[in-house]
Amino acid sequence: MKALQRFSYPIFFVMLAVIPHLLNPRWQAVSITFLIFAVVALSQDIILGKSGMFNMGQALFFGMGAYTTAILNNHFGWPIIATIPMAILIPALFGILLAGPIVHLRGDYLLVVTIGFNIVFVQVLQNNLGGLTGGPNGIFGLGSLSIFGLNLTSQIAVYYFAFIVFLLTLWIMHNLEKSKAGRAMHYLREDQLAAESIGINTRSYKIFAFGLGAGIAGLAGTVFAVQYSAVSPEAFEFIQSVLFFSIVLVGGSSVPGILLGVFVMFVLPEIFREFATWRYFIFGFAMILSMILRPRGIWPATFGKIPKFLIKESKNGA
Amino acid sequence: MAHNELILTNVTKRFGGLTAVDALTITVEPGQIYGVIGPNGAGKTTVFNCITGIYKSEEGSVNWRGEEIRGLTPYQIVDRGIVRTFQTIRLFSQMSVAENIMSGRHIKSTQKWWHAIVPTPGSRRDEKENWLKVGELLEFFNLEEFAATPTMSLPYGHQRRVEMARAMAVDPTLLILDEPAAGLNDKETSELLELIFKIREQGVTVLLIEHDMDLVMKVTDYLTVLNFGKKIAEGTPDEIQKNPLVIEAYLGSEDDDDE
Repeated sequence: MKALQRFSYPIFFVMLAVIPHLLNPRWQAVSITFLIFAVVALSQDIILGKSGMFNMGQALFFGMGAYTTAILNNHFGWPIIATIPMAILIPALFGILLAGPIVHLRGDYLLVVTIGFNIVFVQVLQNNLGGLTGGPNGIFGLGSLSIFGLNLTSQIAVYYFAFIVFLLTLWIMHNLEKSKAGRAMHYLREDQLAAESIGINTRSYKIFAFGLGAGIAGLAGTVFAVQYSAVSPEAFEFIQSVLFFSIVLVGGSSVPGILLGVFVMFVLPEIFREFATWRYFIFGFAMILSMILRPRGIWPATFGKIPKFLIKESKNGA
Repeated sequence: MAHNELILTNVTKRFGGLTAVDALTITVEPGQIYGVIGPNGAGKTTVFNCITGIYKSEEGSVNWRGEEIRGLTPYQIVDRGIVRTFQTIRLFSQMSVAENIMSGRHIKSTQKWWHAIVPTPGSRRDEKENWLKVGELLEFFNLEEFAATPTMSLPYGHQRRVEMARAMAVDPTLLILDEPAAGLNDKETSELLELIFKIREQGVTVLLIEHDMDLVMKVTDYLTVLNFGKKIAEGTPDEIQKNPLVIEAYLGSEDDDDE
């Protein structure tokens, strides 16, 4: 069992690395979608799972990244690769600006405000702000990804782009767990007053969580824009935010739980194509059941990530 | 004048029409174990909340080492070396004992926000140093075997110790304990007594609220007695025990004295 645990991640990564060569184009596209949505769900986990803030507007930051890439590429002729820093920074900045005045709100109030932001965002896109967002149809015909003069047009190349972004996200999540800021998020979620009373500036760490989550979602947006070489408002509707929210909640704020949630939500419907319209129905029931049977998620986050030298005679294990 | 003490002058805190703390003046000298006692509802916890920044008093001044700290936020006050525990234990209940204590190292850690995204050798070293410090505290508070145990599955007495360990992790100058003996049995209380003395030996000033009179009389150097938000007496434990006003406050309100 221990060995299985140790090797499960390397095996998983190797599988992800070779899988596009074994699949036909349709399944390659599904795998790319899985990776992109996994990244967005993980970014949502930083805000909702780790910091405990009920953010129901993650599709906003996802969309903002996608639109940043699309607008810069389509209207201003930037190469895709050059838009990436902007696609991270602009959503991160917006995340910080939007979060600033609202993070003191608790639970359900924050939820309603973030829904509002998401709806306003989609309305702005649909109304073709400044002639840039292309209205309800969105923006078509993005250039393809090219690095060092190599034009990476194939779907496999897009897959590896998504894969790199996915690995980068996991790496950041891993670093977060082992840092002062990452722990501060856990503390403020568990008990805000206690966290303040031990010297943690909870407000700044809440805003940090929003900024980081928004930046990662924005990066996922770039991959999304590259995959379809188009963006349109309906991909970033409020209902998408609901999906990311429920994936984190049902999955249980752990990496395996979230990946499982994304798989169930976005890959299973493709496998059972004829039941695709049933996915909300099935996922709805899965949510109800998992919340009743496993209120902390299918695969709950484990705490106790402490250095080995501190564990003397642990009875419960880490 | 750089004093090294906590001086409250005319601190008044009102909730609507109720004056919870009425023009309270106390001075806590460095190295003291200072007790605040009084019947239930006397405003003891409110005083502590005013010192630690959870409430802001309407009037008066809270002076710490020559600096006015009234109106600062709780985390700014912790940064100045004042840290507290709670009457109703407030731990991060799903997290392990070691992680709970690590939270106290937060303000001592030199990591910046970007180290959460990209760690550097410096931030890793800082991380290691702080965990070593947590290891020392686990030993000091005799909690080593529970390092990885979530605090919610610990017995009450152990949770109290974890909360004190977490507060001590800040390396405070002034430690504020809000009813540290509440809910402890006799054995645990006497252990607590020793702990408080050991903490004082490290040069930490201790300010505590307590109901357990035995403990208060044994442990404190100086006492203030509150009743209805007002100070009715102050002095050494011996003086307080003989003070007729104090006896009246306790005997006269025996009905609401027990919890």
